[in-house]
Amino acid sequence: MDSGHPLLIQLDAPGHWDEQLVGGKAAKLAQLTCAGFEVPRGFCLTTRAYQAFVQNAGITAALRMELGRKSMDDMRWEEIWDAALRIRATFLAQPLDGVLRETIAQGLAGFDASTPLAVRSSAVGEDAAGRSFAGLHESIIGVRGQQAVEDAVRLVWASLWSDAALLYRKELGLDAANSRMAVLVQKMVDADRSGVAFARDPRDMRKERALIESVPGPCRLLVDGLVDPDRWELDRRTGRIITWLPGQRDNAQHDAPLLEPRDLEQILDTLLSVEQLFGWSPDMEWTGQSDSLTVLQARPITTAGPEQDEKRAWFLSLRPGDARLRVLRKRVAEQLIPELESVGQVFAAEQLDLLDHRQLAGAIEQRSAALAKWKKIYWDDFIPFAHGVRRLAIYYNDAVQAEDPYEFVGLLRSQPLVATQRNEAIGQLAEKLAANDTLRSALERLLAEFAGSIDWPASRDMLMNNADGAEDFVRGFDDLKERFFDIAYDQERLYDQPEVMLRNLIELSRTRSQSHGDEPVMGDTVVALEQRLLEAVGPERRAEALEVIETGRVSWKLRDDDNLLVARLESQLLRALDEAARRLRMLGRLTGDERPNAAHVEAMVRALREPSTGQITLEATARIPAAALSSAPSGEAPRQLIGQPASPGAATGTVRCVHGRHDLGRFRQGEVLVCDAIQPTMTHLVPLASAIVERRGGMLIHGAIIARELGIPCVNGVRDAAEILKNGDLVTVDGHLGIVTVGAAEFDLELGVTRR
Amino acid sequence: MKNPDEPFFCDKDAEDSPGATGTPAVRNRIQQLADQQPYAVLCIQGEGQPYGALVAFAFSEDLQHAVFVTPVATRKYRLLSECDHVALVIDNRPNKADELMEIEAVTVTGRSQMIERGPEFDKWAGLLVTRHPYLKTFVKAATCALFRVDVVRFLHVARFQEVNQWIPGTHS
Repeated sequence: MDSGHPLLIQLDAPGHWDEQLVGGKAAKLAQLTCAGFEVPRGFCLTTRAYQAFVQNAGITAALRMELGRKSMDDMRWEEIWDAALRIRATFLAQPLDGVLRETIAQGLAGFDASTPLAVRSSAVGEDAAGRSFAGLHESIIGVRGQQAVEDAVRLVWASLWSDAALLYRKELGLDAANSRMAVLVQKMVDADRSGVAFARDPRDMRKERALIESVPGPCRLLVDGLVDPDRWELDRRTGRIITWLPGQRDNAQHDAPLLEPRDLEQILDTLLSVEQLFGWSPDMEWTGQSDSLTVLQARPITTAGPEQDEKRAWFLSLRPGDARLRVLRKRVAEQLIPELESVGQVFAAEQLDLLDHRQLAGAIEQRSAALAKWKKIYWDDFIPFAHGVRRLAIYYNDAVQAEDPYEFVGLLRSQPLVATQRNEAIGQLAEKLAANDTLRSALERLLAEFAGSIDWPASRDMLMNNADGAEDFVRGFDDLKERFFDIAYDQERLYDQPEVMLRNLIELSRTRSQSHGDEPVMGDTVVALEQRLLEAVGPERRAEALEVIETGRVSWKLRDDDNLLVARLESQLLRALDEAARRLRMLGRLTGDERPNAAHVEAMVRALREPSTGQITLEATARIPAAALSSAPSGEAPRQLIGQPASPGAATGTVRCVHGRHDLGRFRQGEVLVCDAIQPTMTHLVPLASAIVERRGGMLIHGAIIARELGIPCVNGVRDAAEILKNGDLVTVDGHLGIVTVGAAEFDLELGVTRR
Repeated sequence: MKNPDEPFFCDKDAEDSPGATGTPAVRNRIQQLADQQPYAVLCIQGEGQPYGALVAFAFSEDLQHAVFVTPVATRKYRLLSECDHVALVIDNRPNKADELMEIEAVTVTGRSQMIERGPEFDKWAGLLVTRHPYLKTFVKAATCALFRVDVVRFLHVARFQEVNQWIPGTHS
């Protein structure tokens, strides 16, 4: 081996502090070890080891393919997460070669096989002064034995390309050819007190103050934000305690400080010694007390600007840890969703026509406030809880190391989603239509005659008079409307759009009367996948695995339902606004045909409360995104669009873009559904489509999952899909490769062109 | 950066507008590639036999015409005399397999015609020689033929599979 660039370096070997070789974290810990500080014993697998692995395993090329597929600036966070998941699977699929295994064995020779180890990232440049990317890369704790260390090392390497790192790729200078990571393997030391300490106050580095934070138990509880620490401000020069702020733990404040004055003194001494050694003020993670203080990490204090802090806080909220997920699951599933459901029911039950004008104004305000409140909850709780599905993905892949990184999706199948129940009810009604030609013809005549202005109460009577067996259908349709279509879509209540649903039912009834093609390939059963995971984790982690599965399922179900439930609140706001508009029109105080929406709350409330306001006119609100109006420069046309292969299969058909509610009713069987994103309110269209193309990308989004379940090809993450593709375009959707080809396969060759 | 899990209810304020970043127009990318690359693969055919050869080329400013030269005793010349349907492939591929995603290529289809000596010849030869001064003597030789390709279509490929078409000379 090249002794100048070894694969492994012991932390206590003097002189090996080259950050390019061992990464920032290991370089500093090695230096501290050699200077006599107490640091957990261990070794570092150098960046050379990483490079040897990625080169031999062909990972560099795989990285380039993954990262070059689409401009990252055009990727949504979910797509970046997907890319990171596939990269992680690529790292896990490649075993370490003999040399690397032997190297790790040498490093482990100094430890007993039962010793719990921490396998930690040590990326080049991650701790550089002025920027800290703490938390972007992975550390794995409680690792025991050679095989487990090998697995952990590959995971830590893969985390060089984690979703978080990819988000900060520009700041990190991530580059498939040159980026590399060293890995620290250390004995785990978890004392009953741990914490973080700053040699200076990061908020004002000029002050002669040091900050110390401490929690009971291991330091990761503090770093992950799971336990509120006790906080001290100390005078750097005298060690005097300036303030002590007890942490809020177990819902109580503690009277006794976690640390004794001599502990604080020892920590401050260590901080100042570290500062002297490195020449910069450290931010230090520590564990243990005065007589056994161990330094876990030391890096320069970063003073991130508020913008960076905000971005990081937002980002971290998207990927809560297990403990936070547990709390969120309880809160979301047991408290928030039932509460949201109940608010919607209460609003729906209210008889608005019995209210006087002032009361109606109050009802509108109440609905508007409720909608705003629940939108906030959506961002604060529902979106972070959606991580439960991604957590299941990582847990499953790490344990099973499946060839297909999305195999775990099978575990989510057959969840009783509101949208699924709705689609089943729609399916049953379509069956009724398919089985009754007279009824279907009557309905078709009705739709042809009253296109755009169907009056459902009158229509239902007409149907019942003209077709046997219509009563059953009509009752089913009323029930469907009440149960599932009290939702807003495109700023209108679908409840008020029976024509859309009736047209979809006619189309769906056609698919029912035709023979089905091949059944989709569903892969292994839910039970088989669950079994595979439980076998992979072993009996001691069985309970943990079952919890991860269950949280994933609840998260998946609720992320779908929550959209529909919030859409119901908006529908109820629109209902109250419609009632107000009806009254004001009758009084001659509202002119124009525009229907009120959420943007008109203030004007409508004022008009109801103050008769003196006089006449009002509603401002029309733009519904078509500006991008939809743009067109490609003259003579240019796309031939192949690239997206993510979200559901396998290939199909050719004509495009139908769904931009809004009017397009829902125009959708015909066999068309290619092109839209910004398949929403839970429109998943019933999916069985009609020959293929799906979406702008919104991700393997775990509604459209992708439903398409896979139904065996319909889907390509998503296609930039500007719904703007570039036009109704009537012939396209071939290749769900295996993630390609949408525009135009006939044979293309218009140049044969007909005459010479100029 | 697009929002994660953007909600489906109306929350326009919180959403990023889709398609915020713009790709340079296809024409500009084609122009860039044509400017950067001195050589193209000329694709021709005759009697059912396809054939490819490397040529030095130059484009007219409006990208509607390309020119190249060939000695008359070549297989190229013979096949071009038989069939004027041609294609040119211009690309920036490096010699490393793992840089696939960074490659851009353009396939130009069109019809070729030999330009007889005279003012027209001088005009197109001048275009070629300005770009490839080392061909000056070559172009002047009596045994050298100059061909002009009248472009019908450009197909631009990036990121392995992203394909866009541009037909020059179309005006809205």
